[in-house]
Amino acid sequence: MSEEGIGAYLNPAQMAKLNRLALNSRYVVEGTLAGRHRSAQKGASTEFADHRSYMPGDDLKRIDWKVLGRTDKYYIRRYQDETNLRVYLLVDRSGSMNYSSGTHKTKFNYACTLAAALGYVVLKARDAVGMYIYGEKMDAALPCKNSFNELNNALKVLQGYKPAKGTAGADVMHQIAESINRRAMVIILSDLLDDQPEIIKAIAHFRKNLHDVIVFHTLDPVELNLDLKRGAEFEDLETGERMIADPRTMAKEYKDLMGTFIEDYRKACSEMKVDYRLVKTDEPVDTFVRAYLEERKRLSR
Amino acid sequence: MFLWALTAAAIPLMLHMFQRRKTVVTPFPTLRFLKAAQKRSSSRVRFENFLLWLLRTLLLLMLGFAFALPVLRMTTGSSWLIRTRRDVAIVIDASYSMTYELDRGKVWDICKDAAVSVIEGLLSGDRVCVYVAGDVPVPVIEKPTTEHATVIQAIRTLSCLSGTSKLDETVALALKALEQQEGRREREVYILTDGQALPWQGFRDAAKKEEQAGDNKALIPREQRDKVSFFTLLAGAQQPDNACPSNLKVSPPLLLAGQSARLNVRVGRTGTAKQVTVAVEVDGQERARRAVTTEANAESSLEFAVAGLEPGIHVAKVTTPQDALPIDDEFLFLLRVRKQLPVLIAGPQEATRYLKAALAPGAADDSVRQIDVAELDSIDLRDYQAVFLCDVFPLTGQAVMRIEEYAKTGGVVIVFPGDRADLSAYAEMKILPAQPKGTEDIPVEQAARPLRRLPNQKDQIVNFNLPLPPGSIPTVALKRIMSFGDLQENGAVLVTAGDGVPFMTGRAVGRGRVFMFAISANREWSTFPLTAFFLPVVHQLIRQGAGASVQPPHLAMSSNNILVNEAVPNYREDDAIAMPSGAPLPVKDNGNRTFVIEELPEPGIYTRAKAGAAQPEPVLAVNTDRLESRLTPATTEELSEWTGFKKFLTARDPEELTRLIGEYRNGRSLAEVFLWIALLLALAEWWFANRALRTQTGATEKMTVDLSGKVVTT
Repeated sequence: MSEEGIGAYLNPAQMAKLNRLALNSRYVVEGTLAGRHRSAQKGASTEFADHRSYMPGDDLKRIDWKVLGRTDKYYIRRYQDETNLRVYLLVDRSGSMNYSSGTHKTKFNYACTLAAALGYVVLKARDAVGMYIYGEKMDAALPCKNSFNELNNALKVLQGYKPAKGTAGADVMHQIAESINRRAMVIILSDLLDDQPEIIKAIAHFRKNLHDVIVFHTLDPVELNLDLKRGAEFEDLETGERMIADPRTMAKEYKDLMGTFIEDYRKACSEMKVDYRLVKTDEPVDTFVRAYLEERKRLSR
Repeated sequence: MFLWALTAAAIPLMLHMFQRRKTVVTPFPTLRFLKAAQKRSSSRVRFENFLLWLLRTLLLLMLGFAFALPVLRMTTGSSWLIRTRRDVAIVIDASYSMTYELDRGKVWDICKDAAVSVIEGLLSGDRVCVYVAGDVPVPVIEKPTTEHATVIQAIRTLSCLSGTSKLDETVALALKALEQQEGRREREVYILTDGQALPWQGFRDAAKKEEQAGDNKALIPREQRDKVSFFTLLAGAQQPDNACPSNLKVSPPLLLAGQSARLNVRVGRTGTAKQVTVAVEVDGQERARRAVTTEANAESSLEFAVAGLEPGIHVAKVTTPQDALPIDDEFLFLLRVRKQLPVLIAGPQEATRYLKAALAPGAADDSVRQIDVAELDSIDLRDYQAVFLCDVFPLTGQAVMRIEEYAKTGGVVIVFPGDRADLSAYAEMKILPAQPKGTEDIPVEQAARPLRRLPNQKDQIVNFNLPLPPGSIPTVALKRIMSFGDLQENGAVLVTAGDGVPFMTGRAVGRGRVFMFAISANREWSTFPLTAFFLPVVHQLIRQGAGASVQPPHLAMSSNNILVNEAVPNYREDDAIAMPSGAPLPVKDNGNRTFVIEELPEPGIYTRAKAGAAQPEPVLAVNTDRLESRLTPATTEELSEWTGFKKFLTARDPEELTRLIGEYRNGRSLAEVFLWIALLLALAEWWFANRALRTQTGATEKMTVDLSGKVVTT
């Protein structure tokens, strides 16, 4: 990989494809700059929010004279404040992310590319993007910035990391949830191969803090279907444990288990109003991001 | 030796036991799922592995058995230990349906080759005899012999016959020949036929009789049937296709020059409905052609008219297009056309005057000859179609005998009484329809009598019509009339004059006819010779009487006796009749001037060379009996039921017959069976081993994941 930063993950053609896309939050967020996302603050804006009764001390120019004329009562007009979006990308570099069944990328590489694409889309919309990289522990916490240089630097940092040996996804996510003090959008890029209830609890922690959470469950196609033709001695990427197995004889049971695993995450996310997406590493990133954002835009109308 | 191959059954187990575990280490992220899946699937996998091992072991066992060529013996008793001697009878069906042409040749040739093959398969010391089934059984090699080469030579020279066949009689004869042999040997009978039902008819009838009577008096007794093994080759077409002219009628039976012959042709069809073109040839020239749509397995008829026939004997035939059975595609017949009907009038001048004037009005007409009574002793009556006897009695014994013989052989005798003789003179002639009882003078006031034709109640008397316009009543004036006693056998009153008074009587005698009037032929007894209907009545009697005695236009091949006069017109002892092949047709003198043809063995035109004649003339047209043309294959089940043979093996082609013989004598090889089982096991193993790959659906197939990563569980 001779390129550095965003160029290491996305080529110009892919970036061109992502140019006109935008990642909108489904909930109100708290930003630092004026932007096109709904803010938790009510203030000066062009978008009317509601009325409230006049109280002594209010600015007289905010009285709605038309309502006064109709009702003979004093009401103050309130407007929706608009702010920018802060997006935090949580990139998992646990040992299990270092898997690729074929010619396509490892799950970690795919997650990095996906992070680059999403960061690019966020910055193009003049929103801010930050990044957390974690494996067995929190490896890096890069603050939210609305600058391409900052994104480039963050991706350079990411580029410097390789998948770790183990995983501590749930603990790190709790830690990140505590560290983000204003409502923002949190995007988790992980295979979620950890203690499932703990991971669900961590996601719930983000929601409790009123963050808009998106989970990109990144999996290899072979992980899903166990589409292996020959028996082999399999070695766990995180624990190093080995077992001899003929995948053809147990494919049915494996797929049942994997189906249940995915379905549990999907249901939990659905209950928490978390946007859960299954990402297969054999799909082109730009195609996936484009499809996802268009789908999200369609649903938000 | 190949039973050692059964040890190969241990190969799957050995492979399983000594199989080297895979040492390739593959990193995998979800080992916990693999472990759980292995735990869940272990019992199922063990069962599937056991099934696979079982299938593979069985597969190798079957292959081992197949290579060992095991044989299942079908014979019993001593043949297990020692080689069996055999007496073999071969019966070849020679009915003409055996000439049916198949893709691989004529059925007859196939059966002959099969017979040779059977003999070649015998061991030295085995005895064989050969019979050909025709209308009568023909022994080719009558007694079983060990000279196989001679038998094969005799079979190769055999020709198919042109008639039908009776397999039951031939098989019975062949069994009798085997029974007469000494020593206890296995007996085998080979029936080589085309599989048509007709030759088996004898078996069928015998089975019915046996069933009805409940006894064991069949042509082949049951104990004899059960001792013998019967092999049958049904080599004919199972869905035969044939069209042929099956029968023909010519009308009128007596053809005179200038008359058109009407032909009613029946066309038989075996197979599906089809359009068949039928052509009529006379003397080698096509005279008519017409297409008829025949229905499936049915007969159709169509009419032809052939005009402009010259006097003489014309050889004619009806043909259908050539098909797989060409022998029945033409139907031969003869058209005998006469210039005139020669008539002899015997009697005194005064009695015959009117008759002669009526029959030969022109002086140049030489077809009517008038002779005196005395000449009846010497004249050859066979030259005349009809003989009128006008007041001729009493006759000499010689004359009576000649007249009676003439009538019996097909002549027409018409008797007019007269005043010359008393009534007792008539008694000498036994062929009269009724003996005269007396004569009666009729008073003038009762003279006028209406004539009435009585319905013809007896088939042997020709149809007779009074040729008058409808509604008019023919009347004669009678002066005297003869009364008759009781009618003789086959005698009938044909016309009455007045109230039931017989006017004309008739009688069939042999192949001829005798008519007797109650009045004389002159005007002494009645005005009949002067009436307008005298001439037509006389002509009718001559023509119809002559027609009734005319020889048929065609005959079927036969092995029964046929009177020569019934087949050949005007036969004389010195005539030589030749068959189509040129061989003389034997005619046997049965005594009393009765000649008999014993058989008509060939189809075709038979010719007669008359003494002193330069050219032989055609006298008989003989065709194959068309019974065989209606091709009706019998099924194996039907044959088994009709014959009642205990050991009855049938084959549809010579190869199958050879296989059956081999299986019967040597036992049946089970190698093929084992190989088939092995193939099925191999297919089952392949299906079972790859079942998992085909049937299992992926986790992502149970849930829909769209491009945007959205998961929907189905």
